[in-house]
Amino acid sequence: MTTTRDLEKLLGQSINGDMDAFERLYHATSAKLFGVVLRILKNRAQSEDALQDIYVRIWQKAGDFEPGRASIITWMATIARNRAIDIVRRQRPESDIEDAEIEILVSHDTVFEEVVLADEVRQLEYCLDGLEDDRQQIVRLAYLEGWSRAELAERFAQPVGTIKTWLHRSLRQLKECLGS
Amino acid sequence: MTDREDIDMLAAEYVLGTLEPAQRQSVVARREREPEIDKAITDWEMRLSPLNTHYDAVAPSRDLFASIRSRIETAGQNVSANIASLSEVASLKRKVKMWRSGALGAGAIAASLIIAVLATDIAAPVQDGPFVAVFHRDDTQPAFVMTIDLDTRVVTIRPVEASLPEGKTYQLWIKSDQSGSVPQSLGLLQNASVATTKNLGQFDPAMLRTATFGISLEPEGGSPTGQPTGPAIHGRLISVEH
Repeated sequence: MTTTRDLEKLLGQSINGDMDAFERLYHATSAKLFGVVLRILKNRAQSEDALQDIYVRIWQKAGDFEPGRASIITWMATIARNRAIDIVRRQRPESDIEDAEIEILVSHDTVFEEVVLADEVRQLEYCLDGLEDDRQQIVRLAYLEGWSRAELAERFAQPVGTIKTWLHRSLRQLKECLGS
Repeated sequence: MTDREDIDMLAAEYVLGTLEPAQRQSVVARREREPEIDKAITDWEMRLSPLNTHYDAVAPSRDLFASIRSRIETAGQNVSANIASLSEVASLKRKVKMWRSGALGAGAIAASLIIAVLATDIAAPVQDGPFVAVFHRDDTQPAFVMTIDLDTRVVTIRPVEASLPEGKTYQLWIKSDQSGSVPQSLGLLQNASVATTKNLGQFDPAMLRTATFGISLEPEGGSPTGQPTGPAIHGRLISVEH
């Protein structure tokens, strides 16, 4: 079991140029980050290329991590998601994987459950549930699957402008519900 | 809708991932110079990050780390080549070659944002002579390179790939355990195109050796609060005396 503290220590050692520590950090986190990227890109080869970019970036940006601001795995997952979204927004890759297949690939080495702040998860889910059904779905599809406004417009048979309005209303409602 | 609401929705959609590529790029660029956007993005990341629990872990190919390691090491060599071409210190070039050959490990040079001393160096007695710190932004190209002679405690900060938005200035900071981890201002950088020299005679060389240096983007005239308020990049000293 790798704790948050272990991961932070490995990242700290990586800042000092310790490649072995960075490799341990990679092995402890790469399945989670790969899960993020693969879910968005749905193409294994492209996801592995992206994962390489992501870890090079994590190595370079290690000094920017502030423990007080976000958990280390949230920080790493943000870097991974941003990279995947950048790729998918430029060009939706050719999917070579269906969601059902991803289920089969799922690794059971989930070392992250302990860092999940259960209260925050529950509160966000509660606030998402407060959105109308469609709106909740567009937020989830955008965040988790990396869908664009245009893709959402097609799926929900609405003009892109309407999707944008829905997104903004939903996001404002979420913010208000989360009380921040 | 007010500007503030616009910024908040821009940040929210950036985090959600629904902006077009050009808009995303523009947000990334604005984030560098507009603390308000940076803060709005961080806040939205915190709000939405619980959704990450819906991502299942999937193991990547077994041999992927070898490629990552090799890319990091190649990037490190490029950075050291940059330092060599930038520095007027002739001996630095020689030292860079030694880094490249692995005296210090190319990986350490690529530690980027923070280029730091190896753990074993920290325990070593304080050396005099030249040290460098490299400040990175996102890619492998350094934004600033700082050299310091611990003997005279004079630092020179050379911009490499740093542009300065109108009405802004770069400010240099130092942070160490001794100062209670609160950043202390070392003053402003003259501008983003020439080297700035500062005398840090008031600091203990041993403290300088292990301190973290930061360069933040601030309003003209410097931080209004006495603490960094804008986006910052960091560096630590690495010896070139190896």
